[in-house]
Amino acid sequence: MASAVNATIAHRRHYDVIIVGAGIAGSLIAKGLGQQGWQVLVLEAGTGSLQTWEGHLHAIDTFRSAVAKTPNAAFPHNVAVPSPDVLDLTPTRSGFTTNGYFIQRGELPYSSDYLRAVGGSGMHWTGLCLRMHPDDFAVRTRYGYGRDWPIGYRDLEPYYVAAEREIGVSGDAQEQWELGIPSDPDYFYPMHKIPPSYIDEVCRGIDGRTVTDPVANEKFTLKVISTPQGRNSTPDPRYRHGAGYRPQGAVGLPKYGQRCVGNASCVPFCPAQAKWTPLRAQAQFSRSVTLATHCLVTRVIGGVNGRIKGVEYRTYEDPASAASQPYQAEADIVVATAHAIENARLLLASGLANVSGELGCNLMDHPTILTWALSPPGNGPIGPFRGPGTTSGWEAFRFGDARRTRAPFRIEIGNWGWGWATGAPMSNVGTALGVGGDQKGNIVPTAVFGARLRQTLGDQIGRQLQLQLAVEQPADHNNRVTIDNQYRDVMGNPRPILTYNLTDYVKDGLVAARCVASAIYDLLKAQEHTDHSPRDGVAPLGYFRYRDHDYAYKGAGHGAGTHVMGTNPKDSVVDSFQRCWDHPNLYAAGCGSLPSIGTSNPSLTMAALALRSAEQIHRDLVELHRPVQLRGGRETLSKVGNGE
Amino acid sequence: MENETDGVVLGDGEPPFQLPKTMPELRRYLQGALEIEHFTIPPYLTAMYTIRAGTNEVAYYTIRGIVVEEMLHMTLVANLLNAVGGRPRVAHPDFVRGYPTKLPYSALDEKIPLQHFSPDAMRTFLLIERPERVDGIPIQRIPGWTSIGQFYDFIRTGLLELVDRLGENTVFCGNSERQVGPEDFYNSGGEVLRVTDLRSALLALRVVIDQGEGLNGSIFDGDDQLFGEQRQVAHYFRFKEILAECAYDPHDTPHAPPTGPEIDVRWEDAYRIDPDASVADYARCSDTAVYKHAVAFNEAYAELLAYLDTAFNGTPRAVIFGVPAMLRLRDLAERLYRNPHPDPDKASQGYFASATFEIDQQQINHALDIVSPRIQVARLNTEEPVNFTGVALW
Repeated sequence: MASAVNATIAHRRHYDVIIVGAGIAGSLIAKGLGQQGWQVLVLEAGTGSLQTWEGHLHAIDTFRSAVAKTPNAAFPHNVAVPSPDVLDLTPTRSGFTTNGYFIQRGELPYSSDYLRAVGGSGMHWTGLCLRMHPDDFAVRTRYGYGRDWPIGYRDLEPYYVAAEREIGVSGDAQEQWELGIPSDPDYFYPMHKIPPSYIDEVCRGIDGRTVTDPVANEKFTLKVISTPQGRNSTPDPRYRHGAGYRPQGAVGLPKYGQRCVGNASCVPFCPAQAKWTPLRAQAQFSRSVTLATHCLVTRVIGGVNGRIKGVEYRTYEDPASAASQPYQAEADIVVATAHAIENARLLLASGLANVSGELGCNLMDHPTILTWALSPPGNGPIGPFRGPGTTSGWEAFRFGDARRTRAPFRIEIGNWGWGWATGAPMSNVGTALGVGGDQKGNIVPTAVFGARLRQTLGDQIGRQLQLQLAVEQPADHNNRVTIDNQYRDVMGNPRPILTYNLTDYVKDGLVAARCVASAIYDLLKAQEHTDHSPRDGVAPLGYFRYRDHDYAYKGAGHGAGTHVMGTNPKDSVVDSFQRCWDHPNLYAAGCGSLPSIGTSNPSLTMAALALRSAEQIHRDLVELHRPVQLRGGRETLSKVGNGE
Repeated sequence: MENETDGVVLGDGEPPFQLPKTMPELRRYLQGALEIEHFTIPPYLTAMYTIRAGTNEVAYYTIRGIVVEEMLHMTLVANLLNAVGGRPRVAHPDFVRGYPTKLPYSALDEKIPLQHFSPDAMRTFLLIERPERVDGIPIQRIPGWTSIGQFYDFIRTGLLELVDRLGENTVFCGNSERQVGPEDFYNSGGEVLRVTDLRSALLALRVVIDQGEGLNGSIFDGDDQLFGEQRQVAHYFRFKEILAECAYDPHDTPHAPPTGPEIDVRWEDAYRIDPDASVADYARCSDTAVYKHAVAFNEAYAELLAYLDTAFNGTPRAVIFGVPAMLRLRDLAERLYRNPHPDPDKASQGYFASATFEIDQQQINHALDIVSPRIQVARLNTEEPVNFTGVALW
C-alpha cells in the first residue's frame, strides 16, 4: 500500500531510484522496481487526498457541484502547484487569450490540460486502450511525414500485453487483429469488451456502406469496431491460456469497486472506480517504495561526467499558499515522469539533456474536430449519456495510403450526446427555459416549463449524436515548450510557454474528417447541426478558416513529444529505453518520448514503454551494483601462479 | 418423499434442532439457510435507505458492503443447494417474512423489525450477526438454535456425515450447469464459486460463516486468506464499530469494545420510520402518492426475487439482472423515504414514508411473467457480458 510521507522524511536520503511524478508512467515504473526490491522514492508535486476513500467521495461532490464538467472539474484546486485547465482559454475577436498556468504564444491554442495530483492525468483519462498500428512506428519511411520510432511494433508488443494486464483491459482482440494490429492468435484481453452502447448499434446499421474522403479522394467502407477500455467488465476465462483474470477493485475502501455500470462521467471521474487509475498500481507498491506528496521537484541536479546526482524539491503545507521549503534527495537513477510538458519544463529549468536542441520541441496532441447531429425523430431516442464516453469507433481512416495526402484520423462514436460540443444536457435546459432572456434581457416568449419542458428535453437530448474525430499531429520542431524566467508560478518556478500551430497536413486531415462525418450523418439520415462559424464576430476556440470554410478543433489531452526518442543523440533527447542520451542515469519517461503518436490514445503506449523502461532501469541498477573483480577468478590466479 | 420438501419455502417452519440426516433434510436445511441469508437484507436495506443523502458516509458504505456480502451468501447457498440436487425457491411470498418477525434460528424471543438508521437498528443487527462464541462460551442452556453460525455448523457436520455414508458422488448429484459462477457477481468481498464437490462446498460454507462472524475468534473475516483481498472486519464487528462510533484497532480482540479512531456518525441524519408501516395503512391515507411509490417498490422487489429464482434454477447468468434491479430499488427508495408519512398523525411524530417489503402471490406471478421475456431477449447463452441494449428493464 502506498502511504504517502512528507518531504522531511524523504530528505537527504539516498535512494536507488527517484521518480518524479506519481501518474501512469511513474506509478508503473515504481511498482516494477519495488517488486525487484530497489529503494524507490516517488515525489509527487500535487496532493494525495484522492488515495483515500474520503478524498474519493469529496471528488464526487466537487464534480457534482461543478458548473462546467471539464476534465479537472472533480479535483481540488491547488494554488501552490497549479494545473492547466481547458477553461483557461477564452476566444476573442482576434483569436484567443489565456489566463492560466500556460503562457501561449502560438498562432493557434494548445487546448489540452493535465492534472498535478497523485495519479496525475491518469485520474481523468478516458480509459481507452488502443495499441498503435505497426505502420505508426515508421511514418517518415512509409508516408513521408513526422518522425520514425527507433523501435517497431514487434519490440513493443510484449509490453503492450504486460500493460493490458496491469491495467486490466476489456476488449475484443479479434476485432483489433482484423484492423491489422497483430497479436498472438490465441491472445484474449483480460476481460470481455464493455458492451457496446445502443448508439453503437444504431451506427452498425450502416456497416458495409462506403463514404468518400474528398481530400484523399478515396472510398472507405464503414465498420463499427469496439474500443478496448481500461475499465472493469466481465473477466474472460480464456485469458492467459485459461488462467483467467481477477478484476481489481477500488482504492481506499476494502471490497468496493464495481464494474462499469454506465455512470457516464469517466472524464473526469469514475464514481464506481470501475476505471483503472494509477492508484491501483500504487496500492500494490512494495515496502521499498516511498511515495511523498506535496513535493514539487524544482531541479534535477547534475554531477560529474554527465551523471545525475539527485533532485532538489520544494514542499508546501498548504495548497492555498506558495510558502514552501527546499530539500534534496540523491539517487543512482532519476526518472522524470511528470507529463510531457512538465518533463520538458523541469529539464529545461535544470539545464540538462538538451545537447540535441530538441528538448521541449515536437509538442503534439490529437487535434479533435467535433461534429454533432440529431438522429431521425421517427426512430425514437438513441440513448445518449449512458455508458462510458465511447464504446466504439470507425477505424478505417487511420490507415493506408491516404496518409500520404492528409493526416489520418480516428472517428470516436460519442455516447455523451452533445456534451463536449455544446455543454448538453445543461445547455438544452437553459435554452428551453429561456435562461438569461433574449439579447435585450427580456423574457423569452418561447420558453417552456413543466411537462412541456420534460417532453422537449426528452425529444432533443434523446436524439443527440456526436462524433469526435481525432487527427494525428506529426512531430513538428516548431511546436514547442520553452521557459523564460519572466514567467514564473507562485513558487518561483518557470511556467511552460507553449508555441503551437497546425500544419496544412493536419488541417487537411481535419477537413477530411469533417466531410466524412457529414457523409455518415447522411447515411444515418441524421440532421447535422455542426457549426464552427464565428458568432457576433467571435469565433469558437480553436477556430481557423481553411480553403474557404470554417473549422474549429479541441485538444484531446494527449500532450506528447517533448523529449522524443530516436537513434541519434544529435536529433533526439532519449533512446528507445527513454534514457537521456546526455546523462546515463537520467530517464525521461512518458508520452514526451513518443516520436509519433498515430491515431491511438497514447496512454497504453506510454504504459507499455514505462514497463519496458522499468526492465532497463533494473538492468542499469544491477550493473551499477555489480562488484568489480579485482583479483580475477580462480582460473586467472592459477595462470599468474604459472608465471604466464 | 423428496418431492414433498424439494423447492418448498420453509417460512416460519424451522427445521428441528438436530443434524440433517438425509438428503431431503439437508436440502431443507439449505433452503432454510437461503431464507436466513435473505432475511437480513430488508432490515439492512431499510437502515441504509433511511440515511439522508450525503451524510453518515462511513455507515452507509459499511451497510452497503454487508448487504452485498449477504447477497453473495445467498448465491453461495443456492449453489450448495443446487450441488446436492435441490431446487432453491426464492420467488414466493413466504420467502420474504413480514417484519417485525421473530429472529430465525434463535430460541430467544427477540423480534426483528424494519428500523431506520439508529443505535436500536445497530443493536438489532448485532443480534442477527451474533457470533457463536463472542462472549466466550456458547449459550447452551437454552434448547434450540442460538446463532446462525450454529445452524451452519449443523449443515456442515450433516454434510460431512452424509458424504461419509453415501459417498461424495451421491451427495453432489446436482447438474453443474445450474451453478452461478464468478463472472457476473462483483463489488463485494469474496467471490462466487461453483460448488461441485465436498471441497468447494466446505469453502463456500467457510466464506459465509467467516464474513459474518469473523475468523477463528478474531474480529476479521477470511477474505484476505481466501481471495487475496484487503483484510476487513467481519459483519458483526463492523456493526459494532458504527454503534460505538469508533473503529477497531488492528490489535483489538472480539471481547473488548473497539479502541481505534472515532467514526463520524450522526444518528439525527436519518429519516425516522414507523416499523409497523404497511401498504394497507398507506392506502387508507387521503394522499395516495406514497401508497403508489410503496407498491412500486414492492413490485420491483418481487422482480428482483423473480430474477434470482430464474438464476438459481437453470439460467445462472440471469443473476446479472440483479444489478439493474438493485439500482432501480435504490432510485425508488430515494423517491419514497424523503416523504413525510402520509398519515398526518404519524407525520407529526416525525415519521417518514418507508418501503414495507410486503410481497403477495399476485406480485410474484406478475414479476415472473415480466422478467421471463426480458431474460430471453438478453441472450445469456454466451460467456460475454450481458448486453442490456434493447432490453426493457422496467
